[in-house]
Amino acid sequence: MENPQIPRPRPRNRVLLGCVLLVLLMLGAEGLRWTPHLHAAAHAAAQPSLAGAALGGPVTLTELSHTRIPAPQGMPSAHASSMTPLAGNRMLAFWWAGSRESGPDVKVYASTWANGAWSAPWVVASRESLGAELGFGVRRIGNPVAWTDRDGKIHLYVVATGLGGWAASRIAHIVSTDQGASFRVRRVLPTSPLFNTSALVRTSPLALSDGGWWLPVYFEIGNKYPMLMAFDAQGNPTSLARIGQSTSTLQPAIVAVSKTEVRALLRDDSEARRMQHAASVDGGASWQDLPALDLPNHNTSMAAIRLASGQFLMLHNHAADDASARSVLRLSISQDMRSWRTVADIARGKAGDEFSYPTLQQVGDELHVTYTWQRQAIAHHRYRIQAGGTI
Amino acid sequence: MNLPDLSLQILYGRLGWAIVLATVACALWRRSAPMPRVALAAVLAVALAAMSLPGELSPAWWLGLAFQYPSGLLVGCCLLRLAERWNGIRRSRAMPQALAGVLVVVGALLYIDAMGFLARGFYYAGFGALAMPLLGLVAAIGCVLAIARGHGRGPAASLLGALALFALLRLPTGNLWDAVIDPLLWAWATSALLLAALRRSGRRASDRLAAPEQAQEQEAARNPAPGLQPLATERFSSLKE
Repeated sequence: MENPQIPRPRPRNRVLLGCVLLVLLMLGAEGLRWTPHLHAAAHAAAQPSLAGAALGGPVTLTELSHTRIPAPQGMPSAHASSMTPLAGNRMLAFWWAGSRESGPDVKVYASTWANGAWSAPWVVASRESLGAELGFGVRRIGNPVAWTDRDGKIHLYVVATGLGGWAASRIAHIVSTDQGASFRVRRVLPTSPLFNTSALVRTSPLALSDGGWWLPVYFEIGNKYPMLMAFDAQGNPTSLARIGQSTSTLQPAIVAVSKTEVRALLRDDSEARRMQHAASVDGGASWQDLPALDLPNHNTSMAAIRLASGQFLMLHNHAADDASARSVLRLSISQDMRSWRTVADIARGKAGDEFSYPTLQQVGDELHVTYTWQRQAIAHHRYRIQAGGTI
Repeated sequence: MNLPDLSLQILYGRLGWAIVLATVACALWRRSAPMPRVALAAVLAVALAAMSLPGELSPAWWLGLAFQYPSGLLVGCCLLRLAERWNGIRRSRAMPQALAGVLVVVGALLYIDAMGFLARGFYYAGFGALAMPLLGLVAAIGCVLAIARGHGRGPAASLLGALALFALLRLPTGNLWDAVIDPLLWAWATSALLLAALRRSGRRASDRLAAPEQAQEQEAARNPAPGLQPLATERFSSLKE
């Protein structure tokens, strides 16, 4: 009886078969991702959230307290605070402190405001803790920016540099499920094709209607430009886009004017030394650079929020003739984000003094303000916002 | 955006950098002598062992600090180069000029845009949920066709591997551009093109030097000196008469 020989596939055919199977696997994997995306596309894109019902009319600000957040022992340098509210009218503040800016001992610290006082600070991130979780080195630690999501998780974005100075920065996204007591690294945000470097954060996120948020980001190797990274309600990045086309602006302070109109106030790194300004009228999908505001800006950061009354508050450095770039910290108010009126100088010193990097948070009828005090500590002011009055 | 899990990125980073490091180490081997397979395997094993060391002891710690993750295509091209060495192939086809040309152009546009000189958002488009994965699939099918036809099979396989890593696991970063290009690969492609251009111009220069001599010979053949003109063609046979 003859033993029929089964033809065996040649090696080249086997390679081809393997390649075809691989492409089919890829197609299957992409198809699984597309299905939920197509469902999601049926819903409208998330819009900026306009917090609270508008009170309408002018409001009054009454200072309730001012203090400094306790500094960690043996850390003479402090800078770049960020705040995020916690349940029960509490507030959580983050900032970096160390022997000097960029020093190897710089760490991100946190402190909780509760019952009218700040707690002792504790460490939430250092270059050692980030490096251990990321699997690669972090050279220096910089600005933190905080956000509390609707599940109560705290998302902290920390500038962590690679090889080089601040221009080699990356953004580490770390998350706490225990109200800031401990954090775990989620990832380094992908922001650039250049070894993922030169992306930094400084200004506060903006809430979106779907529970997500926008994180203001900026790039600063040579040219400087602002960006916006959107997150969904679970804290997963959903998109990244550039704000405008300028190459000398950074640290965007984003404010929602309406559900579709958004403005960005920008730190100016150009010779113009004016506060720069950009707008989106399609919910952040596209941005246009606007003419600079009639306010000086000598390369300093600002903070802005939309009050429940519908007015806009901005905390910014005012460079007057007898002052230096950061020696006066001014609170201004606007109805339209274009014309600004001075409310008060909340910190004023002699030339060379520094009151900078402000942050604003409205919790109920209270306005919390933190800023860098002389690069040595973080100052905290609290105001009551009342309907009616002069501003 | 669909981004990879951090633990996958850490594993990919260590494996990827081990392959890149082994390729660089092998490139330092004497070109005149073929590299024994044992030596090649030893270099790769040492690179993998070094990468698996904890914390600052691992080269991945320092390479990640500077460059974060290698692109999938860089890892693929390095694997291809290692395979060529394993098979004793000295003249590498890991970076053919066509691939190098595409990488140089794509990289230049991407980096000029990322540096802020353009505002086209090329890199941001790499996170696209539909168009970019579709582009990746089309490119993968193109790679399979190239492999089937035997056109640049090595580079096509490298690209297919990078695209598969992106489609299946979204490695290395969740952005398609990071799967197919990084500044190190761009530098490799640019230097490959520059070297090829230098070789071409070198050949042209030697051709130009050789050209007058050839012309003289041709001229001499056309117009031989009167005293040396053959009077008649002499028949010659190697056979002894």
